[in-house]
Amino acid sequence: MELTRRDLLKGAAALGAAATVPLTAGGLAVAQTTQKKELVTAQAGDISKFDPHFSTSSNDIRVSFNLFDNLTSRHPDGKLYPGLATEWKLDDQTTWRFKLRQGVKFHNGDAFTSADAKFSIERTYDPAAKTMVATVFSTIDKIEAPDPFTLVVTTKKPDPLLPARLAFYGGQIVPKKYVESVGNDTFNAKPVGTGPVRFGSWVKDDKAVLEANPDYWGGKIEVDRWTMRPIPETAPRIAALLKGEVDIITQLPPDQGERVAGNATTRVAGALYAGLYVLGVNSKRPPLDNPLVKQALSLAIDREAIVKELWRGRGIVPNGPVAKGDNHYDASLPPLAYNPAEAKERLKKAGYKNEEIFIETTVAYVAQDKAMAEAIAAMWKDIGVNVKVEVVEYSVRAQKNREKSFKGMWWSDPTSTLGDPDGMMWRLLSPGGPMDYWRDARWDELGSAARFSVDEKFRAGAYKEMSKIFLEQLPWLPVIQPYEDYGLQKYVEFAPNPNQQFEVRRFNLKLRRA
Amino acid sequence: MRGFVPFLGHRLFRALIALWLVSTVVFVVMRLSGDPVPLLLPPDAPHSEIMRVRRELGLDKPLPVQYVIFLSNLAHGDFGRSIHFREPAFNVVRGYLAATLELGLTAFLLAALIAVPIGLFSAMRRNTLVDHAAMGLALIGQSAPTFFLGILFILLLSLKADLFPTSGRGDWRNLVLPALTLGAFTMASIARLTRSAVLEVLGADYIRTARAKGVAEMWVVAKHTLKNAAIPIVTITGLQFGTLLGGAVVTETVFSWPGIGRLAVQSIYNRDYAVVQCTVFLAALMFVVINFFVDLIYGVLDPRIRAG
Repeated sequence: MELTRRDLLKGAAALGAAATVPLTAGGLAVAQTTQKKELVTAQAGDISKFDPHFSTSSNDIRVSFNLFDNLTSRHPDGKLYPGLATEWKLDDQTTWRFKLRQGVKFHNGDAFTSADAKFSIERTYDPAAKTMVATVFSTIDKIEAPDPFTLVVTTKKPDPLLPARLAFYGGQIVPKKYVESVGNDTFNAKPVGTGPVRFGSWVKDDKAVLEANPDYWGGKIEVDRWTMRPIPETAPRIAALLKGEVDIITQLPPDQGERVAGNATTRVAGALYAGLYVLGVNSKRPPLDNPLVKQALSLAIDREAIVKELWRGRGIVPNGPVAKGDNHYDASLPPLAYNPAEAKERLKKAGYKNEEIFIETTVAYVAQDKAMAEAIAAMWKDIGVNVKVEVVEYSVRAQKNREKSFKGMWWSDPTSTLGDPDGMMWRLLSPGGPMDYWRDARWDELGSAARFSVDEKFRAGAYKEMSKIFLEQLPWLPVIQPYEDYGLQKYVEFAPNPNQQFEVRRFNLKLRRA
Repeated sequence: MRGFVPFLGHRLFRALIALWLVSTVVFVVMRLSGDPVPLLLPPDAPHSEIMRVRRELGLDKPLPVQYVIFLSNLAHGDFGRSIHFREPAFNVVRGYLAATLELGLTAFLLAALIAVPIGLFSAMRRNTLVDHAAMGLALIGQSAPTFFLGILFILLLSLKADLFPTSGRGDWRNLVLPALTLGAFTMASIARLTRSAVLEVLGADYIRTARAKGVAEMWVVAKHTLKNAAIPIVTITGLQFGTLLGGAVVTETVFSWPGIGRLAVQSIYNRDYAVVQCTVFLAALMFVVINFFVDLIYGVLDPRIRAG
């Protein structure tokens, strides 16, 4: 790997300011075409589960969101479109009525009806089913299916984001009859959905083969067959693309972009990630319980340098806890500041006595995590912080995450599941949430009120005030909102989805034909 | 063939002890590595749920009890159930075993078939350009890290020269680069050892005698030299199979080859006890079987060994 990296550095130097050139623009000059009827894609890890309610891992949902349909669908443009539901409206503050698509069949021939929709959503939070998405629909009180093509969902309190929740994980519709008759394990091994591809075969760690669903209601996809291959190492994954063995690769690291963009037959497409890369903070543990210390740490991070040097410009500096592109993102806030002098001042004011501050970093849990941790540690040492970087395995991270036992800071990549702060900062930082290490009475009150309000003006005000409190108390240290880059053959027309959904439906994936 | 049966019995007994020790070490180490249950459940699962899953998996029992159950199941050929894949561990591993055997045996044969002639040739042409070139290559093969060689091969032989696919499992063309990568270290070791073993034999009195009585050079090499140099070569070849299995982890990752090396590493991360135990046991079994045959070949090559 050393060799390719060095090659690349040379290449990058030659290209000069290439990082600032939009990488997606290069493709059109040499228009390329293909007659291929098979799409081959490669991602960095294998699929672990096909049952959509038992995984939220990005390697799994790239496939499962195409095997299954949701009632609503979030396209790469960030907007909600009809899926298996054709229309939806509020009957009253807590009652949503969905009109379902008629004539849709599951891959095994069973007709899709409201019974399947009711079963699927109830399955997510059924304690006996023990799914991985049990908390997604916690606002739902009851679901009724008055006729085969109507679904009425009653929420406990007003839930303005229900249609958005239904578009993401947990919301995939599975066939009631089939799941009940074969059981969860067989369903996972031979999944059946309504999506644009149907399950063909899967050889673990080798490839998954998906066949086009010829009768798909949204139109048959561009190809007859889609093969998803796991290629864990970056260099071979890129080599497979450059050689034309695969059509699309995911997880293209920022320092490899020039290599793909500089090749005659390939290009780079990226989407600004719908979320942030943050250092989670255990705010219960001194000295991190002191907001002044956290402010100092934040001020000492030169995020511009991280974006420029480690990410080759493929990211932006966040300005708060709301990701750019989300509802209620406040464009008037300045990017998080870098001011080492002020940082030193605040450390002094905080009475910091050289206590150890830990970063428990992972390696490649999020892109560039270890490199960023080391860079940040160096910046903190410069202002006199006694920082220790420790490397932990994924499984150790998972355990610490569950037990809430991180010693100081750790990498996290909060995804905005709903295109709204409720699906990101409130989902993760609320009382009892997965990152509950910090409490503020006013913040909690606002978050709860905003969740259950259908008044967008009120919600805007609440998130504005919550952002202000967040920036004073810093329960996370936001570091970067990165681009997620893909490498593509030039004949592939494909728009990446900011939320890691990998959309192969007809509206989003085309192969340019001769 | 007097004494051959006790010789066999003794070797077999030692092989069983080795397998038992390996299984025990893996059992203990996996349990030291931590609890798999937190990785199986969503982050907000309640404590009662964690305890229920622990009970279901038998992880609530004391360690000695778990160990006895493990050994008795093992004796019945039952490796337990994979907690990650939710099927019998052996079924999971079996799916990967063919790929590893295909790659491992090809690398092994490739290494032996290329390395022995090179070592022999180097020895016969000692201190010539051919010898220096061959041993220089061997030095590179022995010292270059596997992932480096693998990626180098991909860049040069696949991407630039367009001779082979970059990665994945398929026909024989897919096999060449990973087998070369995996076999490189073994090849180098065998070549170097062959050279020194042959050199040692070439200086022996019986070779001089053979030449003196006018035996053709080809026969001197084939009959007198190779057979006598064979013991250390066979030994290192057998032992190198272990190195090969170790190297498979990296090679399989670089070439996205669906073998047990990769499975073992992922299963360690998942703390999938049963799969790790099954993989390591089968790998140890392969190693033991190969070395058992090495021992048998000793007996054939040198009657003094089976007598002693």
